[in-house]
Amino acid sequence: MRHSMSRRRPALAGLTALTLAAAMCVPAGVMAQDEPIQSGGTLVVAADGTSFPANLNPAIATSNGVVYISSKVVEPLAEAGFDGLQPRLATSWEGSDDGLTFTIHLREGVTFSDGQPFTSADVKFSAEEVWSKLQSFGRIVLANLDRVDTPDPLTAVLVFSKPTPASLIENALPVVTAVLPAHVYQGTDFAEAGGDSPLNQQPVGTGPFVFSEVRPGELIRLTKNPTYWGEGEPYLDEVVFQVLPDAASRAAALETGAVQATVFSGVPRLDLQRLDALDGVSITSTGYEGLPYQITLDFNHRNPILGDVDVRRAIRQALDPQLVVDTIFLGQGASVATGPIPSTATDFYTEDKTLYTFDTAAAEAALDAAGFPRGEDGTRFALRLRVAPFFPETVGTGEYVKQALEDVGIAVEIVAADSSAAYQTAVYTDHDFDLSINSPAYRPDPAISTTILFQGGLDAGIPFSNQWGYANPALDQVIADGLTTLDTEARVELYREFQRIIADDLPNISLVDFRFTPAHRDQVRNLGDNPRWAVSNWSNVWLAAE
Amino acid sequence: MTRSGWVGAIGLGLLVAMALLAPVIKPRDPLDLVGRPLLEPFADPRFLLGTDALGRDVLAQLLYSARVSLVVGLAAAAGAIGIGIGVGTVAGFLGGRVDGILMRISEAFQTVPTFLLALALLSALGASTANVVLAIALSSWPATARLVRAEVLSLRQREYVDAARLAGLGPLTVAFREVLPGALQPVVALVGVTVGAAILVESALAFLGLGDPNQISWGVMISNGRQAIRVAPFLVVIPGVCVALAILSVSLLGDGLAARLAPQRRYLS
Repeated sequence: MRHSMSRRRPALAGLTALTLAAAMCVPAGVMAQDEPIQSGGTLVVAADGTSFPANLNPAIATSNGVVYISSKVVEPLAEAGFDGLQPRLATSWEGSDDGLTFTIHLREGVTFSDGQPFTSADVKFSAEEVWSKLQSFGRIVLANLDRVDTPDPLTAVLVFSKPTPASLIENALPVVTAVLPAHVYQGTDFAEAGGDSPLNQQPVGTGPFVFSEVRPGELIRLTKNPTYWGEGEPYLDEVVFQVLPDAASRAAALETGAVQATVFSGVPRLDLQRLDALDGVSITSTGYEGLPYQITLDFNHRNPILGDVDVRRAIRQALDPQLVVDTIFLGQGASVATGPIPSTATDFYTEDKTLYTFDTAAAEAALDAAGFPRGEDGTRFALRLRVAPFFPETVGTGEYVKQALEDVGIAVEIVAADSSAAYQTAVYTDHDFDLSINSPAYRPDPAISTTILFQGGLDAGIPFSNQWGYANPALDQVIADGLTTLDTEARVELYREFQRIIADDLPNISLVDFRFTPAHRDQVRNLGDNPRWAVSNWSNVWLAAE
Repeated sequence: MTRSGWVGAIGLGLLVAMALLAPVIKPRDPLDLVGRPLLEPFADPRFLLGTDALGRDVLAQLLYSARVSLVVGLAAAAGAIGIGIGVGTVAGFLGGRVDGILMRISEAFQTVPTFLLALALLSALGASTANVVLAIALSSWPATARLVRAEVLSLRQREYVDAARLAGLGPLTVAFREVLPGALQPVVALVGVTVGAAILVESALAFLGLGDPNQISWGVMISNGRQAIRVAPFLVVIPGVCVALAILSVSLLGDGLAARLAPQRRYLS
């Protein structure tokens, strides 16, 4: 814990949830303002999870578990900031009134790590060939992209075949637009080869770091890009992502100084208060404001029992998300969710929809009425539950859901998944589940990564998409309209309707909204200085002496 | 029987009592979330051994875990010893090419460490209690097989065996009815070790997340408690002590029984 945060000292004796919450509000970077920056050194980050996916290309693979590594190498056009977007490879942008073009002005003097200049041709290639074709979010946001015009090397104009709201493109800039060098990728087989292509295993970009070593299951080493465009940046010589599969050993490594930072759910929630009380270690959820996550219970609608909306509503009533918040999240950084859009997304969120309460008696009555009375053994029907092993909280919620559903007579068998990849294949490709506990992330606009969870008719195998066998033409129409409605108010109203339909029909159940609280050593400066810090480029991060 | 043998018998008796009485002492499902999370032991009379990170009763989990650990341990050991006896008897009695093939197979199993083999089998089969039993049994039979084979080899030349053969009994009947009973006594000494090893492997597999996720066991408890080891070490220590006691008990009992049988055997030969 930093001594400079002196106002926390008196409260230390009884470190209550309140002081903890107050401490989390102090951006870690604030205290570092007047210190002289020290360049050099290696930042070792404890990597969450057991291994890295083979395909680390952020222009294709946009899940946060990939981008927190690759964002240091391949940069987007703009990054999220606490006061709106921060320019990165683009310096400014504007959409036309008719929504048919979106003009992007690019930064001058930027080169890729191989020394070749960054130009509008790279944006054209990335948008036309990669984002809109190979990337699950880009395929939606840029669904109506007709072409990219390049009037000069520093101007790229996205041309759409149907009106596309500029606000959507702006919201999507930090998520969808990692720019690849056309001269490196064009004409290769990186698109077909996926994770087998060296260009996806160690992608090339304009970022402050370059890939220098990838040892699967062990570590990924990024080293400084000496020709980076940022003045004097990056400050670090190296960033190492060290695989430490066990959360308790990640906490221990942080204590000993073997690693300087953890990300996402890097340390056990139970250990946070203990770690925060240590000298030299602090916890913070600053830098995760723009990375809200949710825990959901997804249904396989191919199972006729779960295809019945009355059963889905009864299951919702049998569950008490507040208990998950209090017990599994220890009441910290989590709240009961009411739908796929978190309440923190104030621009789109609405509470004007069906809200459910925890009521086991009502759940039992509804299940009886739906034609599923308890049998002689007390069981109505049996379901198989797959639990995403992404975070300790998803696993804990799975165990809670099993117990809660068994209380109302639904037998639940948890099917173990020993890896994230095994879970994803079983659910997203093979559809081999009845229930699934998942943890989707919300991104700045519902059209980027949220509507895909409900849109019907998608191909099997697309991760983090509607693989539940759910199709609702009315909802699909709202989703489609949201992509082409220019008027902001009308668009917001569409997404409110989207939330209302989902609250009525319950294609899945949103249980808990939450935010991560990782721990880090105090010597890490400029940590958490933007709301999507973990997935930003870390060009200004530096290490103070301890 | 030796004094340590009796200690083992009493220990095992206690574990069996725990397993049998679990539903009487704690009628609720041990996986129900019943209280405030991370209550210390003895802090609340309703939860004598405290609660885990999800607010589940540690004592209830401990009692029900005894069932899984004992059932898996005994069933897996029975399977391993059964396979071992069958293979060892056939190999030792028939000898020749059959013996060669069977022993090469058992060597192939022995070159892979038991635990790694069980791990690999379970990864392929999927985590469930039946598969855990199968994986442990399939990975730990060669020790018994080799021991039985050695005994059978020394017995098959005896006169009473020749007599049985001359009486017209088929080779398998001779092997299993005449030779095997004499070869079984050293196997008794191996029973304790095999059961103990099976309990340990089950715990280790569960610890690594390869146990049946729908059933609580000591290994699962340790695995769950590991996250909270720094703030609530009792969640790891309590089931850990149980695993140690269970293995100690079956080992002591096995040794005691073997010691009791050994003099008799000397007298017989």
